[in-house]
Amino acid sequence: MSKSPNRMLAVIFGAGYLLVGLLGFTVTSGVSFFATSGGRLLGLFEVNVFHNVAHLLIGAALLIAGVSNILASRIMNATIGAAYLLLGIAGLFLVGSEFNILAINSADNVLHFASAVVLLAVGIGADKVVKRPTAANH
Amino acid sequence: MSPITRTWLAFAAIGAGLVHLALVISSPAPFAVVLVGLGIAEFGWGVLTFARANLPAPRLVRVVAIVPLLAWSLLAVAAGVFHTPWLVTSLPLMPMAVAGLFELFAAAAISVHLRRSPGVVRPAPGSARYLAALMGGAVVVGLMTAPALAGTESGRHAQPHGSHDATFAPASSVHPGH
Repeated sequence: MSKSPNRMLAVIFGAGYLLVGLLGFTVTSGVSFFATSGGRLLGLFEVNVFHNVAHLLIGAALLIAGVSNILASRIMNATIGAAYLLLGIAGLFLVGSEFNILAINSADNVLHFASAVVLLAVGIGADKVVKRPTAANH
Repeated sequence: MSPITRTWLAFAAIGAGLVHLALVISSPAPFAVVLVGLGIAEFGWGVLTFARANLPAPRLVRVVAIVPLLAWSLLAVAAGVFHTPWLVTSLPLMPMAVAGLFELFAAAAISVHLRRSPGVVRPAPGSARYLAALMGGAVVVGLMTAPALAGTESGRHAQPHGSHDATFAPASSVHPGH
């Protein structure tokens, strides 16, 4: 794993997002699933229950890919990076609207864009020569 | 070229492309046409540099990276000689300077690469070192690009930061120009 930036990033981000997803539940008691205004993680990042579940799923997907193989990590990093880029752009229009079912605020948008840049850059930029997964890769 | 340097080059090209594209709406038509082409080329080259194993068209890009700076300098000279200040004032100083720094970095890094070992593929750095360098490069380019974008006409039309959610911005902060 230490030889592949994609696997390392997927494991680090996966663990990070899993932790964020779990911590999110500590600030969303009494917040409904799709509430447009939720609790604040670290006093900054607004989340509702749906947002927490999304973090848990993204974290699990990245972590599983990271511990699996390089190809899975590359695909997952690039895919989730692209999704975060779209969410970051959409978030600029969703903040303050009735369609904000993830309770996104400006701090979330910054974090989503930052995640998108790093995941996309590593996903399409690193580990370019990848063989099919073998036993040595696992 | 080291994968780390290639990553920084890609970020710099994307940053320069974004700044040049943001300058389009406030520029006179002839400048706007050039800026659109330049911005798209820089952005595309940055993405290709990430995606491809080799640096795309390094000799051509080294020249193209310098041309906008030379053209900007000539405009400044012409504005003084012909008493036409709009030639310079239509291109805001700070965004142009930031884009110029990115271009200079690209030209310098590519020149060093071509002089040293154009065909040699260097061994990949360790994952931790690569990721740390990538994140460092992203932060530096982000910190330079964000104020440059804010200094363009596009940036002035953007939603004032903090207005999405008043508590995100420090309560006592005052943002000039908003």
